[in-house]
Amino acid sequence: MNQLIVEGLGKRYELASSADERTPTGVLRRLAVRVRRSTTNGQEREQSREFWALRDVSFLVEPGTVLGVIGANGAGKTTLLKILARIITPTEGRVVGSGRVVSLLELGAGFDPDLSARENIFLNAAMLGVPRAVVTRRFDQILEFAEVDTFVDTPLKHYSSGMYLRLAFSVAINMEPSILLADEILAVGDESFQERCLERVKQEAERGLTVLFVSHDMEAIVRVCDRTLWLNAGRVLGFGDSEEVVADYQTSVWARGMTGSERGRHVNRFAIIHDVKVVTEDGREVRGMPTNEMTYLRMRFELLENHLCACAAYDVRARGQLIFRTADPLGMRVFRTGGMWEALMRLPHRFFNEMTYSVVPSLTVAREGEGRRQYVLMGEPLSFIVYAPDGTERREKDVRASGYLTPQFRWKFQRVDEQPEGVQGVARF
Amino acid sequence: MSHGFEGAASHSTAAPWVIEPQREGTAARAVEIWRCRRLLWFLAVRTVKDMYEGMTLGIFWLFARPLFPILVGGFVFGGLLRLPSDGVPFVLFFMTGFVPWSLFDRSILFGTKCLDQHKSLIKRLYFPRLISPVASVAPAAAYFVIYMVLLTLVALFYVWKDGVLYVRVGPTLLVALLMSVFAVFCALSVVLWTCVFQARHKETRFGLRYFMQFWMYLTPVFYPISLVPPEHRWLIFVNPMASVVATFRWGILGVGEVPLVPLATSFVVAVAAMAAGVWFFTVNESSTIDRL
Repeated sequence: MNQLIVEGLGKRYELASSADERTPTGVLRRLAVRVRRSTTNGQEREQSREFWALRDVSFLVEPGTVLGVIGANGAGKTTLLKILARIITPTEGRVVGSGRVVSLLELGAGFDPDLSARENIFLNAAMLGVPRAVVTRRFDQILEFAEVDTFVDTPLKHYSSGMYLRLAFSVAINMEPSILLADEILAVGDESFQERCLERVKQEAERGLTVLFVSHDMEAIVRVCDRTLWLNAGRVLGFGDSEEVVADYQTSVWARGMTGSERGRHVNRFAIIHDVKVVTEDGREVRGMPTNEMTYLRMRFELLENHLCACAAYDVRARGQLIFRTADPLGMRVFRTGGMWEALMRLPHRFFNEMTYSVVPSLTVAREGEGRRQYVLMGEPLSFIVYAPDGTERREKDVRASGYLTPQFRWKFQRVDEQPEGVQGVARF
Repeated sequence: MSHGFEGAASHSTAAPWVIEPQREGTAARAVEIWRCRRLLWFLAVRTVKDMYEGMTLGIFWLFARPLFPILVGGFVFGGLLRLPSDGVPFVLFFMTGFVPWSLFDRSILFGTKCLDQHKSLIKRLYFPRLISPVASVAPAAAYFVIYMVLLTLVALFYVWKDGVLYVRVGPTLLVALLMSVFAVFCALSVVLWTCVFQARHKETRFGLRYFMQFWMYLTPVFYPISLVPPEHRWLIFVNPMASVVATFRWGILGVGEVPLVPLATSFVVAVAAMAAGVWFFTVNESSTIDRL
């Protein structure tokens, strides 16, 4: 009923004319082209002058959802939000929704620096189309959340940027929106305020507020958003569970971040890395792994010559962070014969947290007896999901609370006055 | 329909809306503008404030600027050229023509740059875009008020000097007020076109400014219509503003006559131009804003 439905949304821009086209002859030439085109076929357009900032974007959001919107710069995130905020009109498609839409595209866009906080709150409400009664009712809450109570009659130009930001956010969230559009609101503001914002957003979402949240902070996206939309070059590349979409996105960013030569390096003249998989004890390939089960990372590679030395290694990442890098502790092993080989690395159980990790395999290869080493890297990393075995959804999404890894260590407790052999030696002379 | 501008909505009584490439009908948009009237007022105030922002003399200019055209115009046309003025002091005669004309002229020139002027808001916030041109005529209205104060002062000066109150106090003053509202209406019907052009081609206002000069000479601002031979008088009324200015003057001073037929024609022309202007603005607003 109160869903936000986006159907086939598209936004076309016409690229600005070049300096050459603005000269009188250029204008005439363009005019001639236009006339000729309109006589032949009115629908036809100059493709080269068009730019689709957004195309064929469709999705559906249930009320109370926090939807993360991610993507590289220029992917169309802000365009999408601007259309939803009605700042720009779509070229095609439609959006159906209900209730008040409050946008935080640019914090404090409607603020007048010469006016006091009190006046600005009412002014901003007028711009957002919020009735005066709502503002009056919420006035104290707004000030309280923004922590600017004592400066309520100070003109905003004397505010610090943090106060300005807090006030803007507080005004928006307190306008009783049904849909909140937030673009990079966390880019500014100190940590404690960011926390409070996210908390507040979560709370409001539980009461039925739909939030579209654009951010480049993947950690925040995974933590706060129920679902995530991944846009790339104006099109939807992924939509679904935040953790999975974020993992896919990061994988692609990682792959794109490599230079062309690096990307080609999963093949070189000594070796090819064919694939990497998570496999169970009995060799079954799996995409996810339970935290308590023993699994292996299996890398299949092909050696193109006999008598090669190779060392396998993995980079393990989560949410954009390199968690650890591990290599074969034996270093360069000698392979008498070429052909297909596979390397199995046992993954410890009760070691990974419940989240998506991605691994990038690499091989360092050299001819036996030669010093020159070549590095082979696989461009497509493998992501795998670690989940709790019993299906109980613990899903502690906050890595700040539980960390990227949850290894288990051996513990020993002892009384200090009855110190056993091993430890005593350290302290006693 | 109205997106975020519903009455007292909360989560439960949320009014549905649709965003589509085509905008909704004129009636829905009119309702939307009415709901944003507070914003209209704010934008109007801000437009006036913006004009003198950072100027040392600030608000003083608001008073200084109207004063000089009156003094110089009165001196040149009345003092040097001795144009006839239907039996009232020339300065008063000139002012009663110049005030409605400048209301019209200023409204057009200020209104034309409205999209540029409100660019930062338009690109960041949604509000019915029609509010922008409407609010942008505020400086012209501010000038108008100041002119009216000046006019009163000048009239009082002549009471002191000649002992005659040339201003005809009575219900005809309402006619003058009506004419000033109508002048703004006419200006807006032009502005709805020119502001779109201005956003696309910056020379619009430049050319318009030039053109408005000539338009003023064609309007009986500093000469009475009685100066024109009766058989050619229809020519002067081809200009829709001529009847507005003449009627305004009649309303204040009681001189000249009310050109009823030309006034009716002006009214019809203005209403048609306004309808066309609203249509033109609506059709072009989104693509124009994309280019801002």
